Amino acid sequence: MNNEQDVVPVEEEDDRIEVVLFKSDTCAFCPRAEEVVRETIDDFGPGIFKLNIINVSENPELAEKYGIFALPTVMISGVSITGIPEPEMLMKMILGVKVMSKKKSESK
Amino acid sequence: MSDYDIDRVKTGIPGLDELIEGGFPRGDTILIAGKAGTGKSILATQFIYKGAIEYDEPGVFVTLEEPPHLIKRNMLRFGMDLEALVKEGKISIVDLSPSKEITPVTIGEYPSFDLSGLQAIIMNHIKKVGAKRVVLDTLSIMAYKFRSRDILREEFFKLTAMITRTGCTLLLTSEIPANAQSLGVFDIEAFLASGVIVLYNEKISDTSRSRSIEVLKLRGSKHSSRIHSMRITDEGIRVWPGEISPGH
Repeated sequence: MNNEQDVVPVEEEDDRIEVVLFKSDTCAFCPRAEEVVRETIDDFGPGIFKLNIINVSENPELAEKYGIFALPTVMISGVSITGIPEPEMLMKMILGVKVMSKKKSESK
Repeated sequence: MSDYDIDRVKTGIPGLDELIEGGFPRGDTILIAGKAGTGKSILATQFIYKGAIEYDEPGVFVTLEEPPHLIKRNMLRFGMDLEALVKEGKISIVDLSPSKEITPVTIGEYPSFDLSGLQAIIMNHIKKVGAKRVVLDTLSIMAYKFRSRDILREEFFKLTAMITRTGCTLLLTSEIPANAQSLGVFDIEAFLASGVIVLYNEKISDTSRSRSIEVLKLRGSKHSSRIHSMRITDEGIRVWPGEISPGH
């Protein structure tokens, strides 16, 4: 948990949900957003999430690839929140993704 | 050139330089405003293309609206092969259009963000090609992407300042909403720029329209105060400095 990596290729056996936080060196709101994200996913316990923090100042290509203009942005499974997220909103987003992934694994 | 002369950037639009003392002041921000279908994107793309081809000035074209493959296709009919320039490393086309499939769907926005992502993307390309010219096409699309207009307004000032600080001349396009009195959806577009050029495509009779161009302001320049004829020819946009638009 809380591993900070620039890009993590999703390994096939890794069932953890990937949470991506886009931040930059100059973004004043990003440190608080990072705190909120870490606290929220920590509440779920270890082994559920994989946190990827992408520093756009160092990796502008990744911001371009995903079309991320505004920072901080949190992205989980193709949906995103811009700005410092409220923990409740983040929680809803996470639960939505969990439900979707459960449905997916049941239909297999 | 004396200390009082302003270094000018040739626009690459035949006839336009004659209206503005030889070109845009280098390092300035210029707004190209007009309603839909007036030729804003063509003018801005031609500025980048001609800059690279004729004046050895590399450019970055940031598209927030039209996907690059359509821009390339549309400019080819004017004989402007953008893809060749991309391959030669003379220009960069930055695809930030909504058509990118990988872009996540935004489900929430809190008024605590900046545009440092967009800044980093653009600065990376400026560095990569050694750009002297930058186009942002179009600013208006940001109004549909984000709700927090006050933040955007503030961030636009930071973004334009950061780009022009590199020495690049920046062209912003802005769509004038139908029946609007302002120059764009944010109402501050004119304040972002030291120069404003407005394009028109007015109906002059039941069966015809007339294209024209007006230099509304250009700080540090004596510019024409007339509205001049403009056409989209097989070679791109052309302005007739001696011809006053019949639509005005």
